[in-house]
Amino acid sequence: MYLRIWCLLSVLFFSNFLIAQETYTFSGYINDQSSGETLIGANLYNKSNPTEGTSSNIYGFFSLTLPQGEYTFVCSYLGFADKEIVVNLNQDIRQTIEMSEGVTITEIVVTAEEKDENVENTSMGTIELPVENIKTLPALMGEVDILKTLQLLPGVLSAGEGNSGFYVRGGGPDQNLVLLDEAVVYNSGHMLGFFSVFNADAIKNTTLIKGNMPAAYGGRLSSVVDVQMKDGNDKSYQVDGGIGLISSRLTIQGPIKKEQSSFILSGRRTYAFDLAQPFLDGTNFEGTNYYFYDLNAKVNYRFSDKDRLFISGYFGRDVLNYRSNERDFFFRMPYGNATTTIRWNHLFSDKLFMNVSAIYNDYDFSFGGGQADFTVDLFSGVRDYNAKIDFDFFPNPKHQIKFGANYTYHRLTPNVTSASNGTVDFTNEFEPDYAHESAIYIQDDFKVNSRLTLNFGLRASMFTQLGPYNSTLNGTRYEKGDVVKTYTGLEPRVSGKYTINPRASLKAGIAVTNQYVHLVSNSTSTLPIDVWVPSSELIKPQQGIQYAVGYFQNLMDNEYESSIELYYKDLWNQIDYRENYVNNPTTEVENDFVFGTGRSYGLELFLKKRKGRLNGWVGYTYSKTDRTFPEINNGETFPATFDRTHDLSVVANFELTPKWQLGGVFVYGTGNTFTPIKSLYFIEQNLNVEYGVRNSARLEPYHRVDLSATLTPKPDSEKRFTSSWTFSVYNTYNRRNPFFTYTTFETDANAGTAKATAYKVSLFPVIPSVTWNFKWKQK
Amino acid sequence: MSIFFRMGIFLLFVAVLFTSCEEEFIPDIVEAEPDIVVEGYIEAGENANPPFVILTRSVPFFSEINTDEFNNLFVRDAIVTITEGDNEYELTEFCLDELTPEQQAQAAELFGLNPDSLEANFCVYLDFSFSLMGEVGKTYDLKIEAEGKTLTSSTTIPQHVPIDSLFLVDAPGVPNDTLRQMNAFIDDPAGAPNYYRYFSGVNDGPILPGFNSIVDDAFFDGLYFEFVLPKSEVNDPNVDIDPNTFGLYTVGDTATIKWCTVDKAHFDFWNTLEFNAANQGPFSSYTRIESNINGGLGIWGGYSVSYYTRVVD
Repeated sequence: MYLRIWCLLSVLFFSNFLIAQETYTFSGYINDQSSGETLIGANLYNKSNPTEGTSSNIYGFFSLTLPQGEYTFVCSYLGFADKEIVVNLNQDIRQTIEMSEGVTITEIVVTAEEKDENVENTSMGTIELPVENIKTLPALMGEVDILKTLQLLPGVLSAGEGNSGFYVRGGGPDQNLVLLDEAVVYNSGHMLGFFSVFNADAIKNTTLIKGNMPAAYGGRLSSVVDVQMKDGNDKSYQVDGGIGLISSRLTIQGPIKKEQSSFILSGRRTYAFDLAQPFLDGTNFEGTNYYFYDLNAKVNYRFSDKDRLFISGYFGRDVLNYRSNERDFFFRMPYGNATTTIRWNHLFSDKLFMNVSAIYNDYDFSFGGGQADFTVDLFSGVRDYNAKIDFDFFPNPKHQIKFGANYTYHRLTPNVTSASNGTVDFTNEFEPDYAHESAIYIQDDFKVNSRLTLNFGLRASMFTQLGPYNSTLNGTRYEKGDVVKTYTGLEPRVSGKYTINPRASLKAGIAVTNQYVHLVSNSTSTLPIDVWVPSSELIKPQQGIQYAVGYFQNLMDNEYESSIELYYKDLWNQIDYRENYVNNPTTEVENDFVFGTGRSYGLELFLKKRKGRLNGWVGYTYSKTDRTFPEINNGETFPATFDRTHDLSVVANFELTPKWQLGGVFVYGTGNTFTPIKSLYFIEQNLNVEYGVRNSARLEPYHRVDLSATLTPKPDSEKRFTSSWTFSVYNTYNRRNPFFTYTTFETDANAGTAKATAYKVSLFPVIPSVTWNFKWKQK
Repeated sequence: MSIFFRMGIFLLFVAVLFTSCEEEFIPDIVEAEPDIVVEGYIEAGENANPPFVILTRSVPFFSEINTDEFNNLFVRDAIVTITEGDNEYELTEFCLDELTPEQQAQAAELFGLNPDSLEANFCVYLDFSFSLMGEVGKTYDLKIEAEGKTLTSSTTIPQHVPIDSLFLVDAPGVPNDTLRQMNAFIDDPAGAPNYYRYFSGVNDGPILPGFNSIVDDAFFDGLYFEFVLPKSEVNDPNVDIDPNTFGLYTVGDTATIKWCTVDKAHFDFWNTLEFNAANQGPFSSYTRIESNINGGLGIWGGYSVSYYTRVVD
């Protein structure tokens, strides 16, 4: 079977390689002239025949092979002036194209799609988000957050009020592959997810793939968020910073060796609670504090035209210390991510680009607390060692082929708990889980003719659970390194585009995905205490298949872009906690899991105004997501926790004057589901709750308006030092959006009376904020 | 442990939510047939209570119920039988208003009520002949026929594991002359899991279930083990819990500890019930209380009990 598929693919890949005419390759990198940063997803096409074109990969590399001749190429990138390059292609030519920020700067906000890209691109449900374009949008407490901006796109739902977590097309929160310089980020939130770990100052570009995941990506069912850090200015030194309501930021970047090597160092830390410390001194709570911080660092070095090395790292922590001195009660809860990525880009030829990556990432959560002699310590986490190799092959303009391999060694530590009562120490004796995860893939973007383009790919994945492990199925004890269980998966991905006319196209795709590590949460949003668990004897890999079709139309000379997309998704081996779950530190969580299926379908509408002083977009999603578990709800299908029928986002930017830039966001969503109380009953004269059908009730609809105004006092300043102020108002009309409900009970057994009171809690009222940003740049 | 967690998460939340706001609301009523709720216990040991069964109905969410509505929750005229081996015992229904004041006082004590201010009319199914007392190691089947339904259950009274020693220590934190903490040692048998539940009372007051009253020995199987027994707090809406004295005894009090072993199903009931009560809001979805009653809600539970008293000094 496999053999036959490979034969078929080989024929498809190579049948078009033999082209009679003499061809040459135009290749190189596309850069930002002022900083030397490579530009991701910039477009390059033949001016007289725009279908002969390509776009730069995540390292800014492009390659275009065409018949001998003289060409005028147009290079375009959002926020930059188009550049025309005249090339006499009578030999292979390698050239760096430098783009400068241009007059089109007012064209703003999410989108890297240029010109007809909306209709021209084969990929569906892929959105690039250059970070510069989100900084003028309103932000909660002034903290610019790429993950929250993604939530404003159709098909992407916010995980909750002010939360950076998100759900994509009916997938769970663990089904999003979040990458930072190719390292998996297992927990992308600070402070229970109210802020994401991505410091916008250190981020260059974010790509969201919500449908038809290309074969190069895998390991998650629903989406990819691929975040690329800046490489660092390789021409001159630059310092950026900001002082905000709750945190401050500082970024330093510059050349190590001009136009050959550069660095960037970026940090952010909150200080709201540090400022409160003097007020806690001498009180019962002296020593109580909370803060988080992020550090991003990256260096790159160009050895030659053909070789470039990148080393990047991220380190972030949340730390909560609590003390109640009167009762001698305390705990300390630090958690966070660390990632390191080493990448080597190598050009074998003008047509073959290679990247080799060695990646380390770690997420750990720990908790230590107690009272007097009684103490409890807990630890959980994920640690991956990952190696991958990826090739981009540009044989001719009809084909763009990617292939590669990926291997990860996982160590997943469940809630290892130890406790002491001062005399006896005891532990639940949990051992870390180990696993191998590997994949190979190949994909081809194949321009069949001027109207039809196909992208087909195949990913083969494998996961091996390793000991130590005690089988609960047959009692076997597996020692460290023993193979417990192996799963394999074949994941075909096909998508295509048919051009109806230069302004309209039809796209469709099918993608099969497998997921081998899982995060199961018993709460309505994920918490840092939730643990990642591997597939095992008991937990089968999650599987998904998504079908999507879309119609893309540009209007009024490309001033407007619009699209309609429909999707349907089936999910298997979905995981949840059993209904009578009790958090028990001595039971491995997999014994508390139950398994079922999921389904989601929806309609997404998107209309964007790309140009002009007023620009922005409207995104609307109609969707339905449900789950069916034999052991939940008596086997009856129930709405998923994040089922949201209607979800609307309106985003606008307006350049009032060169000094004043205004931004506004309106969001509306159907209220969140919750499980209602079916009845109350007495036990030991206290009221207890019997719950009704899972998620069968809803909170009120969610809506709010955020506004922002950015003042740049001297927009045309040629000085080294420039600064701006961003004023932001979150939830402008102070909507009390219910976040959760709870109930209190009072019983007077002697009198035979009882009272039950239900409360709904809303989080953020109107919150104004101000941020001062500055930039110093060496001339 | 989960308490620690929840508290940590809660405080983290508070850090952000200095601005949060809450308001009362009336949830939509879920239309459903009422369930019969069983609360029945059978005890073995010195000073053990006689077996009894209380039958009530579940009610849709309400804001308030008054004494009449409360009294109407009791399921009357049921046929309640307990079977042990070849022996069958039928329980008799008594309501407080049918009893003499002396009997009422006895019954009130059984339910942990105050006989002086009693307005509610509790009804209970009881073996008034007192010929049936629980015995360790025996299994008791319960059958209830009421309102056209038949409910069944079964419970076993496990072997008793006594408290080895009970002693009072200084309250943790800032030194305090009047507050003391109760600690205990048990010698947990190794091997098969053991499940424990405790109650406590002060002076002549009612014996009430403890705070986090239920525990299994997964963490201390086979160990000679020290742990804290916080004082039970009275569930009185008019009394606010003071975090500075919560769970602590006052010097001069006489403390009574009721210490029980229970079987697995009985443990699961209290364990899910206490988890359910402690977990609401955004941190946890609901947990269904695991009943061992077929055809209804509630518990038919066997206890192997022992009592201890200490003067707090």
